Amino acid sequence: MDQNLKDFYFFNDFLNRRVYNPSGLKVGKVSDLVAERAEPYPMIIGLVVRTKGREKRFYLPWEKIVRIEPRITFLEEELRGLKISLPEKDIILLREEVMDKQIVDTFGAKVVRVNDLHFLRVDSRLRLVHVDVGFRGLMRRVGWEKGVDWALRWLFSYDLPNQFISWKYVQLLSGSDLLQLSVSQKKLSHLHPADLADIIEDLSGRERSAIFHALDTETAAEALEEIDPKIQKALIETIPVEKASDIVEEMSPSDAVDLLADLTEERAEEILEGMEQEKAEDLRELLIHSDETAGGLMTTAYLSLNPKVTVEAAIARLRAEAPNLDIIDYIYVVDEEEVLLGVVSIRDILTAQSHQPLSEIQAPRVVSVKQDEDQNEVVEAFAKYGFRALPVVDEGNHLRGVISFRSVLDVLAPEAG
Amino acid sequence: MEKDYTKWVSSSKRSLWRTVGLFFILMGPGIITSNVDNDAGGITTYSLAGAQFGLKLIWSLIPIMIALIVIQEMCARMGVVTGKGLSDLIREKFGAKITFYMMIGVFLTNMGNVISEFAGIAAGMEVFGVNKFISVPLSAFLVWWMIVKGTYKSVEKVFLVACVFYISYIITGFIVKPDWNNVLEQFLHPQLSLHPSEMTMLIGVVGTTIAPWMQFYLQASIVEKGIKIDEYKFARFDVVMGAVMVHIVAFFIILVCAETLFKHGIQIETAKDAALSLAPLAGKYCTYLFAFGLVNASLFAASILPLSTTYLICEGLGWETGIDKKFLEAPQFYGSYSLIIFLGAGIILYPNLPLIPIMYFSQVINGMVLPFVLIFMLLLINDKKLMMNYTNGPVFNAIAWVTSIVMIGFTLLLFIQMF
Repeated sequence: MDQNLKDFYFFNDFLNRRVYNPSGLKVGKVSDLVAERAEPYPMIIGLVVRTKGREKRFYLPWEKIVRIEPRITFLEEELRGLKISLPEKDIILLREEVMDKQIVDTFGAKVVRVNDLHFLRVDSRLRLVHVDVGFRGLMRRVGWEKGVDWALRWLFSYDLPNQFISWKYVQLLSGSDLLQLSVSQKKLSHLHPADLADIIEDLSGRERSAIFHALDTETAAEALEEIDPKIQKALIETIPVEKASDIVEEMSPSDAVDLLADLTEERAEEILEGMEQEKAEDLRELLIHSDETAGGLMTTAYLSLNPKVTVEAAIARLRAEAPNLDIIDYIYVVDEEEVLLGVVSIRDILTAQSHQPLSEIQAPRVVSVKQDEDQNEVVEAFAKYGFRALPVVDEGNHLRGVISFRSVLDVLAPEAG
Repeated sequence: MEKDYTKWVSSSKRSLWRTVGLFFILMGPGIITSNVDNDAGGITTYSLAGAQFGLKLIWSLIPIMIALIVIQEMCARMGVVTGKGLSDLIREKFGAKITFYMMIGVFLTNMGNVISEFAGIAAGMEVFGVNKFISVPLSAFLVWWMIVKGTYKSVEKVFLVACVFYISYIITGFIVKPDWNNVLEQFLHPQLSLHPSEMTMLIGVVGTTIAPWMQFYLQASIVEKGIKIDEYKFARFDVVMGAVMVHIVAFFIILVCAETLFKHGIQIETAKDAALSLAPLAGKYCTYLFAFGLVNASLFAASILPLSTTYLICEGLGWETGIDKKFLEAPQFYGSYSLIIFLGAGIILYPNLPLIPIMYFSQVINGMVLPFVLIFMLLLINDKKLMMNYTNGPVFNAIAWVTSIVMIGFTLLLFIQMF
């Protein structure tokens, strides 16, 4: 059926347009468009028509529309005769859920507000292809598009461009799409964790936790590491303890400890109890140290090996454990009592013979800091020696942890994180 | 080390300390908003009310206070429950067109307010003998610098300190030694005459106390503070405290002017007149305290209004916001922020400025925007989908509607009188 469609439409072209019956009587106005949730571009399957009578809103399926241009006309004499209710699943009410709402532009990695929607005719149906987030769209909504266009052209010879975002890159934050988030979150997961963190910070509470809930544990942990501590705390408080434990377990120990230290003791303990024993023990130990000492900056996710281990075996261990390590630039050489004997950089390993034991290639003099050293001293040590990581030892020279360069950056430029 | 305080307080076993501590952490938005309300325009109106009618209108402060609490409480609740600003919510529920026109209205009325704040700074500093060509550019720069260089947190602390300086009006109130029995009498037996000049003054007092920008600002700062639902009772207390504080200050301003200017039949037109006329009647310290209060209030409001206007407009229209962004990332944000400050300060420096018509115009726009804001607020707060279990209860809803309708009635009356 050809409804005499134009090539493209804006949502604004539909909103509040009159709807007529075959005898040319006006029966109501368009109040919403219904789209079928389909990838990549949703198809319009009907209109919601608002009338004056007792039943105020009717669903008018696309098939019942005879033509759109020059005026919207449908088949029956009366809307009441249609008696079709909204399909329940997999639809989007475009006005209620998309128009004027905030969305995530996963291509530009930011939160934007929808001003208008752009539809294209494909095989005599309309499909939603773009959302318009620009000033032009806003002016179109207000009804000033032509005037502003004319004024800008006359004054500055400037053509106001459309700012379109392809629907492919749009992640909705409201309505039924929230429930679908876990399905469609692949749109979100190819964002960089730091961008994802910025987006989460930009959102309001409800949407923030909805998005966060939908992320898989690993992505959630990576994003959480980058989020502002205050929001971090709020987010972790809204999710169930079991999930919190899983997420904290995935985080790097130094970030995890900072987060746990901000929570109330009971909550932190609950989260620790839900975690793997070994990891929880590490974190408990780190938690003892004050924020502003070497102990508060260090992580326990490093690799330490016995001096007798050969280079070949060391490489194998490093390869096996790399996914869970915060420090992969150095391997620390310790004896059975965990006393720090030396350090081997990844460069040393790669240039050595594979049968050599670590004791042969380790640097004889190790620079380390004491657990209770002030963080400013740590920063100085980093600046002086130019290392990418520094080991932390206790009074008996036992290795307790390692500070990564990243933690030092957080001390120097806390705002930039 | 605010973090540590928060942790200490929330893990404290003593429930009283816990409550008091939590309040101090969460207080701010309500108290600041209400105090900004006692700006140059407010002080002028209260001074005029006291000078022209003595203590006759003082009873009206109580119903106005209740109205303010009812309206502000709804904003605070919306902010806590939805985590969104009022302009966001209006945009999402009522669409782009109406939001756009509303933002133009809010821009114009706030612009008028900013002008009057800079006028207040100029007038107050002139009492101390400082020329306006020095005081106005300097304060404009200070305002701009404070926002661009400081984060919201430190700015909020500066503002909370500024609230303390309102005490200067209370001190002045005691210096003039009022007849307290008479004051009490006026509260217990309110007189309402329908004399046109009295009605105009009453409408003026209502209009200056409940303005559209406040609802936007309060809700935005509640959201900014990230107050959670279970901490809401503290935010509510904060709002009530703010409303009470602002009316205590208003009470003392009216009292001072009633006890001195009204009793001696001195006619004044501005807050500066009021300050200067106090010297022969109550001593020069009274004048200085009064003028200091005016400068403090104006500077305080001049720092908040431009930023809050910019935020709410950019959020409503979907532009990038935030003082942590670069100019090119958020050109509309920085553009309108600078425009408001430069226009506001610049207009005051213009010779022979027609200040009265400008204020008149700003009041008209104010009156046009306020009914929309109140009705939108009531529709939003009763939206189950949005507010879940935190919609208005039947009784509160009735009070809120009556308050709003009375407020709208007053603004319409103001309109009729203007033309």
